[in-house]
Amino acid sequence: MNSLCPVMPFVPFVALMQSVVEFDNVGLRYGTGVETLTDLSFTLYPGSFYFLTGASGAGKTSLLKLLYLAHRPSRGAIRMFGHDAITLPRDRLPGFRRRIGVVFQDFRLVAHLSTFDNIALPLRIAGIQEKDLRGPVTEMLAWIGLTERADARPATLSGGEQQRVAIARAVIGRPEMLVADEPTGNVDPEMARRLLQLFAALNKLGTTVVVATHDIHLLQEIEGAQMMRLDKGRLSDPTGSLRHPPRPLVLKN
Amino acid sequence: MLLDFALPEHDRKLIPEGRLSGQMPWVIAIMLFLTLLVAAAGLTLADAARKGGQDLARQVTVQIIESNPAQRAAQRAAVTRVLRNLDSVADVQPVPDAQVRDLLEPWLGTGIIDADVPVPALVDVRLRSVPTAEALTSLQSAVRSVAPNIRVDSHSSWMAPFFELMRALVWLSAVVLLLLLVATSAVVILAVRSTLNTHRETIEIMHMMGGTDLQAARLFQRRVALDALLGGVVGFIVAAVVIVTVGDRFAAVEPGLLSGAHFPYYGWAILALIPLAVMALAMLMARMTVISALKRIL
Ligand SMILES: Nc1ncnc2c1ncn2[C@@H]1O[C@H](COP(=O)(O)OP(=O)(O)OP(=O)(O)O)[C@@H](O)[C@H]1O
Ligand SMILES: [Mg+2]
Repeated sequence: MNSLCPVMPFVPFVALMQSVVEFDNVGLRYGTGVETLTDLSFTLYPGSFYFLTGASGAGKTSLLKLLYLAHRPSRGAIRMFGHDAITLPRDRLPGFRRRIGVVFQDFRLVAHLSTFDNIALPLRIAGIQEKDLRGPVTEMLAWIGLTERADARPATLSGGEQQRVAIARAVIGRPEMLVADEPTGNVDPEMARRLLQLFAALNKLGTTVVVATHDIHLLQEIEGAQMMRLDKGRLSDPTGSLRHPPRPLVLKN
Repeated sequence: MLLDFALPEHDRKLIPEGRLSGQMPWVIAIMLFLTLLVAAAGLTLADAARKGGQDLARQVTVQIIESNPAQRAAQRAAVTRVLRNLDSVADVQPVPDAQVRDLLEPWLGTGIIDADVPVPALVDVRLRSVPTAEALTSLQSAVRSVAPNIRVDSHSSWMAPFFELMRALVWLSAVVLLLLLVATSAVVILAVRSTLNTHRETIEIMHMMGGTDLQAARLFQRRVALDALLGGVVGFIVAAVVIVTVGDRFAAVEPGLLSGAHFPYYGWAILALIPLAVMALAMLMARMTVISALKRIL
């Protein structure tokens, strides 16, 4: 409670700031089994950086799937970019998905497209002209150190290289929210730090970043990052930073 | 919207241009080749039956039965004259006695006819239009005035079974055509499904990145349309070569019952429509299959 006092003067200003994502008592159940995710309530703010940790099977990927609109929850309410994501008609989902960049745990690169075309995929889907996408994609290839492999198919890339392509593809469109599932699982610590810098740079430009990871060391890499911890499908909040982030919007009862 | 091949370049790059579906164009080519042959045969038969039927129904033969050769010749001349003056008659051809004998010889044996057997005189008549029963009667009475003992035979009566057979064959080819089209459609549908299965992963990835259902549908529609088009063109060309070649052989056959049988020009238009219809069906199927697959994954 005491943390609220210093920021009180900013309340009128920051209260205008919209949340990127709000979960209210969200539950997710696959089929008829027990709930994989239970009673999730949290808010993600624009320009924040979140780490999502938890044991294997705790439900990290499931939570991220809700975030990138691959599933609807079994119960509860989700607001995203100021809209009710539960009642959003299906034909408006593509527009929302284009605002979210995703690094899948299993990469999901398109097998028959080259490295270049895989990275360019989100831009092409968004209808960006060839002449306008060549520059950014080339630059991105250089950043992830795969300029030489621009024409290679995913199957001929190493695991770490594939992961870098998956990350490049997720960030190329400068999404408003970036969701990354174990994005550094297959790369050496040096490359992991480099990729995390990419996320940090994007975060500085205003992108909300959510990274699910087992790697505790990563957590120290990003200053000001907040931690979400999943424990058997429940969000434990060891630092209280989720419900009371160092942002004034916690005033929401 | 069904026919928008011309995707912008960035859309085409989403799915590579290489051959993806393998055998589909060739299976379609074979099916279409067979379909087009059956269609061409049916059209030719239908055309021949229609034309032949019309020609034949206008054809009438007058028999003059008279044992005295001199009188028989005189009556034949008179009948020919009378007929030439009738408005309903287009053409009259008296058949020379020698030709009548030739016609009968196979039935009666050589040498017999001259001496003892009285041979009827024949006059072939082509009418301007297909005669009604009354028209035939009035023609008969007109001729009776110059030759009492005559018979008027309309060709359509004795040729009827032949044309019935032709019509039955036309129906048969229509049924076979229909079955082939059903089989072709089934091939197209299966091919579209298997194409989509190979690319399900790609569609889902595009979907997760905010690709719309229509974007995915258009891509696959185009893919499948190109395959169907390739198959259609190959099938059509091979069928056309066969039709023209066989048509020439038909034309070389001594005119007779099949004289009217050639592939009608409007037939080419119908044949061209068949591959186009198959292509449209393929595109429609691709579109529907993609959209219904995507509807299932939110
Ligand atoms: N599609 C599904 N159908 C049924 N059960 C599922 C499905 N996806 C995940 N689960 C179950 O939900 C639970 C959470 O899975 P999830 O993949 O979210 O875990 P995770 O935290 O990402 O684990 P990891 O760290 O190993 O990736 C697991 O018990 C898993 O078996
Ligand atoms: Mg996971």
